[in-house]
Amino acid sequence: MNEHPVATGARFIGKRIQRKEDRRLLTGRGTYIDDVVVAGMLHAAFVRSNVARGQILRIDTTRARELAGVFAVYTAADLDRVACRPGNPVFDMPGCPPPDNGLLARTDARFVGDPVAIILATTRAIAEDAAALVEVDYRAEAPVIGIAAAKTMPPIHPHVTSNLVNAMDSGPDDEIDAIFATAAHVVEDTIRNCRQAHMPMETRGMVAVPDGTGELTIHAACQSPHLSALHIATAFNLNQQQVRIVGKDVGGGFGLKMSPQRDDLAVIAAAMLAGRPVKWIEDRLENLIAAGQSREDQMHVRLAFDSDHLLIAADVDYDCDFGAYPYAMQSSASLVTPMFPGPYRVPRYRWKAAGWYTNASGIVPYRGPWMMEMFARETMMDVAARQMGVDPIELRRKNIIGKPDQPFQTAAGFVLTDISPRETMDMTVAAIDVPAFRREQAQAREQGRYLGLGLANGIEPTTVSFGYFASDVAHVRIEANGRVTAMTTTFSQGHGTATSLAQVIAERLGVPFEDVTVVEGDSSRTGFGSGAGGSRQAVAGGGAAIKASDLLREKIERIAAYAYNASPDTVRIDNGVITIDGAPEVRSSVAEIAQMAYVAPDRLPPDMEMGLESQYRYRPPPMVMANATHACICEVDVETGKVSILRWVAGGDCGELINPSIVEGQIAGGVVQGIGGVLFEHLRYDEDGQPLAVTLKDYLLPTGLDVPRIEYRHMCTPSSTPGGFKGVGEGGAMISPPTLVNAIADALAPFGKRWLDMPLSPDRIVCGLDG
Amino acid sequence: MKAAPFDYIEAGSADEAVFLLGEAGTDAAVLAGGQTLMPLLALRMATPTVLVDINPADDMAGIARTGEGVRIGARTRQAAALRDPIVARHLPVLGEALSHVGHYQTRARGTVGGSIALGEPAAEQPAVAVALGASIELRSSRGTRQVPAREFYLGPYATTRADDEVVIAIHFPEWPASSHIVFHEVARRRGDFALVGLVMLLDVRDARVERAGIAWFGMGPTPVAATTAEQALTGAAIADIDPRELAHLALAEVEPSEDLHASAHYRRTVAARIFERRFRTLAGGITA
Amino acid sequence: MSLHFIEFELNGRQIEGTAEARRTLLDFLRGDAGCTGPHAGCEHGVCGACTVLVDGQAVRSCLMLAVQANGKKVETVEGLASGPDELHPVQQLFREEFALQCGFCTPGFLMTLVALDRAEPRPDAAEMREALSGHLCRCTGYQGVLRVVDRLAEDRK
Repeated sequence: MNEHPVATGARFIGKRIQRKEDRRLLTGRGTYIDDVVVAGMLHAAFVRSNVARGQILRIDTTRARELAGVFAVYTAADLDRVACRPGNPVFDMPGCPPPDNGLLARTDARFVGDPVAIILATTRAIAEDAAALVEVDYRAEAPVIGIAAAKTMPPIHPHVTSNLVNAMDSGPDDEIDAIFATAAHVVEDTIRNCRQAHMPMETRGMVAVPDGTGELTIHAACQSPHLSALHIATAFNLNQQQVRIVGKDVGGGFGLKMSPQRDDLAVIAAAMLAGRPVKWIEDRLENLIAAGQSREDQMHVRLAFDSDHLLIAADVDYDCDFGAYPYAMQSSASLVTPMFPGPYRVPRYRWKAAGWYTNASGIVPYRGPWMMEMFARETMMDVAARQMGVDPIELRRKNIIGKPDQPFQTAAGFVLTDISPRETMDMTVAAIDVPAFRREQAQAREQGRYLGLGLANGIEPTTVSFGYFASDVAHVRIEANGRVTAMTTTFSQGHGTATSLAQVIAERLGVPFEDVTVVEGDSSRTGFGSGAGGSRQAVAGGGAAIKASDLLREKIERIAAYAYNASPDTVRIDNGVITIDGAPEVRSSVAEIAQMAYVAPDRLPPDMEMGLESQYRYRPPPMVMANATHACICEVDVETGKVSILRWVAGGDCGELINPSIVEGQIAGGVVQGIGGVLFEHLRYDEDGQPLAVTLKDYLLPTGLDVPRIEYRHMCTPSSTPGGFKGVGEGGAMISPPTLVNAIADALAPFGKRWLDMPLSPDRIVCGLDG
Repeated sequence: MKAAPFDYIEAGSADEAVFLLGEAGTDAAVLAGGQTLMPLLALRMATPTVLVDINPADDMAGIARTGEGVRIGARTRQAAALRDPIVARHLPVLGEALSHVGHYQTRARGTVGGSIALGEPAAEQPAVAVALGASIELRSSRGTRQVPAREFYLGPYATTRADDEVVIAIHFPEWPASSHIVFHEVARRRGDFALVGLVMLLDVRDARVERAGIAWFGMGPTPVAATTAEQALTGAAIADIDPRELAHLALAEVEPSEDLHASAHYRRTVAARIFERRFRTLAGGITA
Repeated sequence: MSLHFIEFELNGRQIEGTAEARRTLLDFLRGDAGCTGPHAGCEHGVCGACTVLVDGQAVRSCLMLAVQANGKKVETVEGLASGPDELHPVQQLFREEFALQCGFCTPGFLMTLVALDRAEPRPDAAEMREALSGHLCRCTGYQGVLRVVDRLAEDRK
């Protein structure tokens, strides 16, 4: 782990190769959205509702319009001149009509932060000055805050009959009630997560440039140029080719930048109305109140065990607070309930799920949006172990699936293959000397110190391939000088795909890593694909890159064989040098073959197409599973309720690693976001629907002093995809919350309380111990 | 997140600052380190029409011993005070407090006077001033006055400073070098404002308390002097004091409120525990 | 609102310009001086992405007015490396330790570490970690940054 070699030799996959992106980013030469300047651009700011729910009685924009430097002030009525359907063509849930309030609040505001008017001015400061001059009168009404209120109060949207967005269940199952009635042990509780934010260090933003002919160029901080183009084209009834989305560097996404939200579309509409380029850089205050949020959900869990502590049935009831304008499916239509059985044998399973509208900012999927399945299951496994008086690791070992058990069909219908839950758990447990820890824990308790060990298992469904996510394409071109350019559908918000895919391509082609350039982030240069989302770029982007590279390599071999009068299977390509088995005098190069391909048609095999480029659209399997077991040791200061994390072991099986350092970076980032969600982060609303954490002084992210040094353990069970890769983007964020909660609960076990309501802030712990 | 418009004037000295602020009217604000004011401006929670910048006023920076104690110029940077040998020797409790103020990057600009003048109730330095019995030197065209820190704070960000008064310096009375000090802060993360903060000084001679200075921060709308406990301690033999009872007395003046980060119950409970434990340890060291 | 003519040294070169009183040093650097390395992550002094050196001290450039930089010496991430193809030793450590992902917060971390790296007496690893608590990163979980601190501290022994 101390060595991080620069690329050498012919093997690149599996190496800790330094990132191609970093030299630029480290020297201040990145191009993030606010670095984009377009001649003549105006700056946008929004007037946002300060009430959670209320009729708009009056909007007076007169004084704002008169301010020097203000170009326009648009309200909903103005934007109506640009026809726009704000639905989400990528993610709309069947049977759930999108909220009908337009891009700006037309008749009523439905959350604090709801955009009411948009100002265009020569500077952002003037736009904010003007926003302060817009007068809006509301008749405030009692808001719907929280799931319980959503179930009983009148709907927040006039076009729906209740706040229920959608509900699903597994159907009637009378037998399961009988199983619970006669089970040796039944464990039951509700776990509640708290509302959190993705909080990329770069907020949302764009520069929308209408060109006057109906075409739009949009520089965007997004996760997927193509999905954004599709969404925007659909919303404004354009052809997708009329919308070009360009992005260079994006300062983190985590799901937030997956889909344009209403305010993004309002900026575009305003630019079209004004006929001017418009820049909107969301500020942190807007980001905290009006950008997508996540994680406000709860699950009631009942588990039945037989007398040998084998799981015999599970019954769960899931509810999710969607806020007012949810983007993308989050609960019932997603993976929360289907994934709940996880890596365990659960013979009988029943579930219910529902999502609810409330007067809060809308839900947008956040890294592992279905994490409640892992959170609820793994915390309840520990609750069950304590209740039954068994060791939580032993309880898991009794019920977990191992490699010999696969393929294994779960109670929810998934087939588990190519994963190693039992083996990975054993690896992680071995890294922690559990008996030694238990002795230390006992000694510490005698001194009034409370140490805890927590462990969690999870399966991460990666590269879920459906709808617009069903395929990815790579276009690989060897230029006439032998250098390689790959146009891919991946897009990095820090993922390092320009490095990982170059490793894959260089290895498959047999060329130097330095010679490969990966181009992404421009919907007009790359083929259609879904970019970053769903932990898919290694598998889908990597798979496409492998397939396209292999096609090219075969062509190189055929050209070389023809040129040197050999058989293609004797051609060797290594580090850009071409040799022929049995012909030591031949020493050619990829550059020489490329020259032939572009300028010497006579030297190519008859009927061969000129040039040296290939394209492959790869369709991954419907889902590629990865699995992990994390363990942590923490200490809880019962005097102050503060939690210190002393050790963290991240064991995982994400198949073949392209670049272990990048993989570990994904794991670490997710783990720390999950730690934040347990200990610090909470977007709390008061009963009036006012958000209480509106600055980063109050929305607390973990700092470098709050995190453990993560110890990584890798197990490799290759997937059945071309490179054996699996996704790794979201698992860390899903598994770390139950790992940490279990450690805290273990530390506090002598007090006999429950620790299932997030966040486990110092206040919650001290008051919980007192209560 | 851009500030509303304002005019900006530099004050090259304390006298100039006093003059300019007097001229500027009631909507003016003094800009010191800016580490609290600048965010308030950016959020448009403060909208002064004029900023009088005292950063160029070098005569307002500096730490010196006086007959009665230590005088710290209002514009003295927190980072400078943290490194200052006089502070280390004669005001060690302030040094300890400063290491908890904000972060390395904010201490480079933030000033001792700025923090004490603003009166954030969960901030460290105002509580140190209250515990030690410091006084705040205010100057206007009408003259100079010194206000005891214990009378200076009225509420969150509200003090007895008049609109035209500039905080010139803080006068910390000297406590004997043998005084026992306790500085304890519970915060969510390093650099955050306190959930519970305690500053305690005890001048102990022959195991008997000559003088006590105790203040809480993060425990109410202002830094709060624990005068009941101070009175109970003064003249008492350390061995006769019941730490639990004293902790109870120490909370007599506080009325903590609930916010996003902690309930009033948390603050009271944890404050009592910390006080009792820290006092018990301190007393044990003295009587041992 | 008052307008101010300002001059200061930026990464070794003298620059000048005009700024409204309310314009922050961050906005001036990015919008007027062509230094887009410092980033606006929060604009209220918490995240640290805008950190620059003013007269050698690491400060939040969103909490300083542009006019306050008048006559000062300002250094940004663009000024660290000795040439366009070079990396400052701290930048090199970041690269070797995968201490960045999206890179948005990185310029701030670098400026604080460079200030610490030049400081006398040299801070130890714990002091460096304490100073870095004034920077937020959402991608890396700080693992690479902590390794950079280890190596910087080790180098000094």
